[in-house]
Amino acid sequence: MNRAELIAELERILGPRGVVATPDALLTYDADGCVMDTHEPHVVVLPTSAEQVAAIVRLAARAGMPVVPRGAGTGLSGGATPMQGGIVISTARMDKILQVDTANGRVLCQPGVINWELSQYLKPFGYQFAPDPSSQKACTVGGNIANNSGGPHCLKYGITASHVLAVQVVLPDGSIVWTGDGSAHTPGYDLTGVITGSEGTIGFVTAAWLRLTRLPEAVRVVLALFPDIAGASNTVSQVIASGLLPAALEIMDRLAIKAVNDMYKLGLPEAAGAALLIEVDGVEDGLDELLHDITAICWRNGAIDVRPARTLAEQNQVWAARKNAFGAMGRLAPTYYLVDTVVPRTKLPQTMDEVGRISREFRLPIANVFHAGDGNLHPIILFDRRDRSQNQRALEAATGVMKVSIDFGGVISGEHGIGVEKQDYMTLLFTTDDLAAMAGLHQSFDPHDLFNPGKVFPKGRGCGELAALRRSGVAWSALKSS
Amino acid sequence: MNLALLRADLTAISGEEYVREHPADRRIYGQMPLLAVAPGSLEEMAQTVARLAAEPVAIVPWGGGTQQTWGRPPSRPFVVVETHRLNRILDYTPDDLTISVEAGMTLGALSAALAANGQMLPLDCPLPAQATIGGLLATAMDGPRRLGYGSARDLLIGIRVVEATGRVSKAGGMVVKNVSGFDMMKLYLGSFGTLAIIASANFKLIPQPRAAASILCRAATPAPLWKLVNAIAASQLVPVAVEYLEGLELAGAPCAVAVRSEGLAAAVERHVRDVTAFAQQAGVSAEPLRDAAHEQLWNAINDVPQTATLAADELVVRVTCLPADLSNALAAARAAAQRANLPMQVTARALNGVAYLRVRGSAEALREWHAALLKAAPQTMLLAAPLALIAELPAFGTHIANLDLMRRIKQEFDPVDLLNPGRFVVGQAG
Repeated sequence: MNRAELIAELERILGPRGVVATPDALLTYDADGCVMDTHEPHVVVLPTSAEQVAAIVRLAARAGMPVVPRGAGTGLSGGATPMQGGIVISTARMDKILQVDTANGRVLCQPGVINWELSQYLKPFGYQFAPDPSSQKACTVGGNIANNSGGPHCLKYGITASHVLAVQVVLPDGSIVWTGDGSAHTPGYDLTGVITGSEGTIGFVTAAWLRLTRLPEAVRVVLALFPDIAGASNTVSQVIASGLLPAALEIMDRLAIKAVNDMYKLGLPEAAGAALLIEVDGVEDGLDELLHDITAICWRNGAIDVRPARTLAEQNQVWAARKNAFGAMGRLAPTYYLVDTVVPRTKLPQTMDEVGRISREFRLPIANVFHAGDGNLHPIILFDRRDRSQNQRALEAATGVMKVSIDFGGVISGEHGIGVEKQDYMTLLFTTDDLAAMAGLHQSFDPHDLFNPGKVFPKGRGCGELAALRRSGVAWSALKSS
Repeated sequence: MNLALLRADLTAISGEEYVREHPADRRIYGQMPLLAVAPGSLEEMAQTVARLAAEPVAIVPWGGGTQQTWGRPPSRPFVVVETHRLNRILDYTPDDLTISVEAGMTLGALSAALAANGQMLPLDCPLPAQATIGGLLATAMDGPRRLGYGSARDLLIGIRVVEATGRVSKAGGMVVKNVSGFDMMKLYLGSFGTLAIIASANFKLIPQPRAAASILCRAATPAPLWKLVNAIAASQLVPVAVEYLEGLELAGAPCAVAVRSEGLAAAVERHVRDVTAFAQQAGVSAEPLRDAAHEQLWNAINDVPQTATLAADELVVRVTCLPADLSNALAAARAAAQRANLPMQVTARALNGVAYLRVRGSAEALREWHAALLKAAPQTMLLAAPLALIAELPAFGTHIANLDLMRRIKQEFDPVDLLNPGRFVVGQAG
C-alpha cells in the first residue's frame, strides 16, 4: 500500500477532516514534551469513536505500519513520539464526558477529556477525579491512564491506577473490548491493571470508567518557609514517619521560589531557601489538630515562617504557583530538563544533598519542585540547548540523578513513564529476567509490535527476543550447582 | 513418572523433612497430592519449580491453605509447593512506611511486626493467624477496610515471583510511586497462582490511626439499613468500612450495618455522632463500640467468609456487582434462600459492591439457590462447595469476558499448564 492509498483509505474511515497529512502539520506531531529525539509520523488521524480507532488499527496492520497514540502531547518521556513513523492516532476529538454515575461512584469518559476539565465538570456533583498532574490543565485522561500518572494528591489518594475502574481498548488485532464495568472484581486476570501504565504499547484506550472521589468537607493549606532545602526535606521525612497523613506535601527550592515569586506575586522573602506546601483535608473535625502537629514539626526543623492560605483565593494562588512552576522556569534559562525519579522517603535529605553536588559537578543550576511526600523528585536542570557542552552536561547530570536515586533504593520514574527517555536506563533497575517477564505480557497482547514500538524496553532488546529467552526455561540441575 | 526419583531430587533441594508423600492434610476437594514440598528459600523454591517443570508435573502453590477451596479443584495429579518456610521480613525501614516480606508470612505475623512500630497493612482477611500474604495476593482477597484504604491492588508496590520455568523475576520496587516498567503486580495479583508463584511482596504501609470506633446499627429487616448506607454515601463522611451483615449472631439482630471510623479523635467522634443521627433518621438503632468491643466486632466480621473449616453441606460464594445493585442482588439471594429454606449468612462491603454469602443445605436446595443467585448476580464466584456440587457449578459466574486474551497470557507465561491446572478462569471449559 503506498502513501496515497493509505491516506485515501483513512479518509474513507474518518472523512477528510479526520486526516492530517500535509508536511507542515505533521511536523507538530514529531515529539511530545520530550524533545530529545524527534520523528515525524507518516500521517496523523483524529478519530471520534472506538470503531474508527479499530478500523485504523486493522488498516495499519495491513499496511505494516506502527500505531502511536497521542493525547495532549504533554508527556515528558517521549511516549507519543512516533519513533518509527507510522500512524499517530490523536484523541483530540474523543473528548466527551459520557456519563456521571454517582450511585456507583464512577464516570464514563473518552480518552481525550482534559484532566482539569473533568474535575471542573464533576464539582457541581460534589466529586472530583483525584489524580492531578501538574500539567492537568492540558493533559488528557487517556495520557494519564497510559502513563499511570501521578500528581501532588497521590500522597493521600493514590496513583491513577487506583482510579481507573475499567477501560475500553482497541487491541492490536483490531478488536474492541471492555475490561470490566467498574465493579470491584472482574473474573480472570486484571486487564485494567496491566493496561494502565503500559504507555500505549498493548492497547489503545478509547473509553474509561474512572473512580469518583468525594470532594472533602474541608481543606487547609499552609506554606512553610525554611532557610534551606534540608529543613524542608527533614520535615517531610518526619511528618511521614510520625503517621500524620496530609493530602499533599510539595517542596519548592530557592531557584523555584525565585521563578514563581514575581510571576504569582507570592511575596516570599528572598531569605527562603525552600518552601513546603502542606495541604490537609477531610471532615472539618480534627483538621486543626492535624495541621497544628504538622506545623510543630516545621518549627522543630527550623522553619522561618508558616503562612496559612486563609481564603480559597489564597489557596488557589499557592497551588497555581506550584503547578505552573515548570512554566516559570523560562525566566531562569532558555531550556530545562525535568528529571523524574523516586527515593524512599527517609532518603530525601541525602538525595537532595546529592542533587546539589550534581549541580556543582556539571556546572548547571538545578531547581527543585517536587512531590516530597511520596519521595518523588523533580530536579529541573537549567541549560541552554544551543550550547553543545551544556546539552551534554545536562544529559550527564540527569543520568547522575537516576543513578543516585537507584543507589538510595529508588527507581527511575515515579509518574512520567519510561518512553524513549529512560528506556536505556531500565537495565540499571531490572535484570534480563525481569524485563523478559514484562516482554511476555507485551507479547501476549501485541505479538507483532504494532502499538507504539521502540518504547519502554531497552534499545536493541526486542520484546520478541526477551520473551523467547523467558520461554526457554532453565535446567533445574544447572540451578542446583550455581 | 518415577515418583521415587522425583522425591529424591526434591529432597536434595529442600531436605528430607520438607518433602512428604501423599500428605492427607494437603487434599483439595478430596484429591491427594503426589507430594508436598516446602522449600526454605527463594533459591530452593526456584529449583523445586524447575525440577517439577522438567518432569513435568502440575504444581499447586500453598500458603496457609485457608482458601484452597476457591475456584475449582486441580484437573491433574499435582505436587503441592508450600511457602510457609518463606516467612521472613526482607526489608523494613519503618520511617519509609514500606516493607518487603516473603510470601509465606501470615498477615497476623506481619500485622504484629508492624504494630510494634505503630503501623499497619490494612488488608483484612479471615483467619489472619493462618492466611499468608502470598495466598491473599493470589486470590485478591479483600476486606471491609478496602473502602478507606483500598485493596491489595492499591497497596502492593513490588513483587518477586518464581515463574513456571523456575526463573525468578521481579517488578515494582520499594517506593510508593513508580512507573518504571510494566505493572506486573497487577498481573499476578488475583491470578490464582496460574502465572507464577509469588515469592515475596512489597507494600505501602499506613500509620495506625490515633483513634478508632465503630457504630453497630441493628434492624429486623434490610430496607432501613440500606437507607442508612445511602445516607453515609451521600455525606462527606469518610468511614474506612461500611459493612452490611445478615443472619449473623455476632450482629445481635437479623440485619445490621457496622461502620468503622479511624483517624484523629475529633474526626472519629464526628463519625459516631453523624452515623448515629443517620441511623435515627432511618429508624434503626445505633450502638457505638470502642476499644476491645470494636476490635472484637471486626475480627469476627473478617472471619465470616472463612473457607478453612467447612461443613459437608456448605456453600460459600462471593458476589460482585456495581455498588448500587448490591441490595437487589442480596434480596434475590434472600428470596431464593427462603424458598429453599436455607439459612443464609452475609457480610458485604456495602459501598464497594462485594458480598460474601454462606448457605447450608441439601445438594438439591443449594443447586437451586445458586442458579437463582447467578441470574441476579452473574459475577458470583464459588469459594467453597460440597464435593457433590463442585464439578457442576460454574465457579467464576456466567459472565466471563476476554477469555481469549486471558488464555494468550496464560499460554505465554505457562505454556504447559503447569501451575494450578483447571483451577482458574483460564482452565474453565468454554
